[in-house]
Amino acid sequence: MTPLKLPPQILRLVLLTVTILGSYGVMRHMLRPASFGEYGHYRGAALEEIAARPPTYAGMKACNECHSDIVQKVAKFEHKTVACEACHGPGREHAKDPDVKNAKLNDRLCLRCHEVDEARPAWLKQIAEKSHFRGDRCVDCHVPHQPKETP
Amino acid sequence: MDPVSTAQAVNEVQTLVTHIDGYVYPNEQNLLWSVLIVVYPYITGLVAGAFIMASLVRVFSVQALAPAYRLALLTALAFLLCAPLPLLLHLGHPERCLEVIVTPHVSSPMAMFGFVYAWYIMAVLLLELWLEYRRDFVVWGQRERGFKGLLYRLLTLGATDVSPGALHLDERLSQTITIIGIPSAFLLHGYVGFIFGSIKANPWWGNVLMPIIFIFSAIVSGMALCVVVYMALNWVRRRAADDACLDKMGMFLFFALLVDFSVEALDWIHRLYQAEESIHVLKQLAAGKLFYSLLVGQLCLGTLAPLFLLGATQLLRERIAMWLRRRIYFISAVLIMVGVLMMRWNVVIGGQLFSKSLRGFTTFKLEPAGQEGWLMGLALMILPFVILGVLVRYFLPILPVTAAAGEPASAEK
Repeated sequence: MTPLKLPPQILRLVLLTVTILGSYGVMRHMLRPASFGEYGHYRGAALEEIAARPPTYAGMKACNECHSDIVQKVAKFEHKTVACEACHGPGREHAKDPDVKNAKLNDRLCLRCHEVDEARPAWLKQIAEKSHFRGDRCVDCHVPHQPKETP
Repeated sequence: MDPVSTAQAVNEVQTLVTHIDGYVYPNEQNLLWSVLIVVYPYITGLVAGAFIMASLVRVFSVQALAPAYRLALLTALAFLLCAPLPLLLHLGHPERCLEVIVTPHVSSPMAMFGFVYAWYIMAVLLLELWLEYRRDFVVWGQRERGFKGLLYRLLTLGATDVSPGALHLDERLSQTITIIGIPSAFLLHGYVGFIFGSIKANPWWGNVLMPIIFIFSAIVSGMALCVVVYMALNWVRRRAADDACLDKMGMFLFFALLVDFSVEALDWIHRLYQAEESIHVLKQLAAGKLFYSLLVGQLCLGTLAPLFLLGATQLLRERIAMWLRRRIYFISAVLIMVGVLMMRWNVVIGGQLFSKSLRGFTTFKLEPAGQEGWLMGLALMILPFVILGVLVRYFLPILPVTAAAGEPASAEK
């Protein structure tokens, strides 16, 4: 019986196809997360992986330990429900070592909540940045800790 | 807060929101799919159309189109290489792009795109190009030195048999692949229409004719692209274009456009006759927000004008001189390409301009800069032409090559 002899171009194409499919198999084996598909179309260990990440926020209690005067002042005004780190950023490192400063505040931070958007509740003060004020910074006219006061 | 202040706040918000007309739900104010999602189906459509143009030669044996065959395939490849780019840019996190392949989700058409794309590029287009070029790679690999020679030799994949029997086998394989390629091209582009057509909450999109409309507009735009590229290449190379080929392309372009126009007209007639509750807002959309892009751009400039021009060349071919026909083909092709781009815009952007409440409209303003700006869209449209330039330089030489065996072979089949 003569062995099956493929024409050279078909042989090359078969080899190439096998190589591509094989590479896909290897790639899939290597890149597919171990817990994928355990319960459904997601990583079964997703929650554990997230929980294992180091926390970056300190929490308001930690802020209150050193900055109780400011925390108490804020508690009397509109921003009382806004957590310190919502504006000042994650402060765990700063809480551990006060010499480590938090990230500098962004001048456009206020717009994150106060830029006009119909999806926001109507009681929330909203402005259209372009028509409201074209100055440098919101804090030139507003005090974030006591929004009703002027600087 | 007391009722007066609440009313005041509501008034303030309403006067501040200037881009809303009527009532829209809060999450409909800003568009989520922007110009990149307009460019994406446009590019895949051009690919599918250019491939269909090439397959006319291979499957339907339209020999008059042979001078544009290789160029059409290379055009399809250049645009196909850029097809996923708008999606990558739109979604962000390009480092995650392989996840759609590594952990495939078979019930999601969007997630299946990776496989449709891989199938089309690997199993259809590259394979057909390889079989078409294999003989030339062998000849060029022997003749050229340096990088070019190495590239051609590598591309032969070691299959250097160019005997008549081997070439005949190439031919047969190529024909089979083209036959597989036609439904694949339909699948590649039809699936874009399938995604839009499946969104039943949106009356502008949720329509069973959507995949058909997308496929026909794709064929039209891809053929128009082939006409433009073929004429431009001949102009750059200071060579006369093949008139018989141009006439044939013009003919197919006309009939494809006629079918495309009929299907889209059927869609509108059906919508108007069916007169579902959404028809009022859709009519307002077409006559208002989309007036310039739909009625002026897509319908008048992109469809009726080229239909008239190309129709004239079909009916009065003997009376119109060739130099004038060439200009008509070129102008019509450009108009069609603009018109189909407008069609993509009308579908993608138009479908997000009206509220699901059917009671209001929002506004879309295209910014020049940024990830979703029109400059980015323009760059994505220029890139395939740059790639095509490189491909043409390497794989579509000006001088006819001479086969090793001494038989003549044309550079542009």
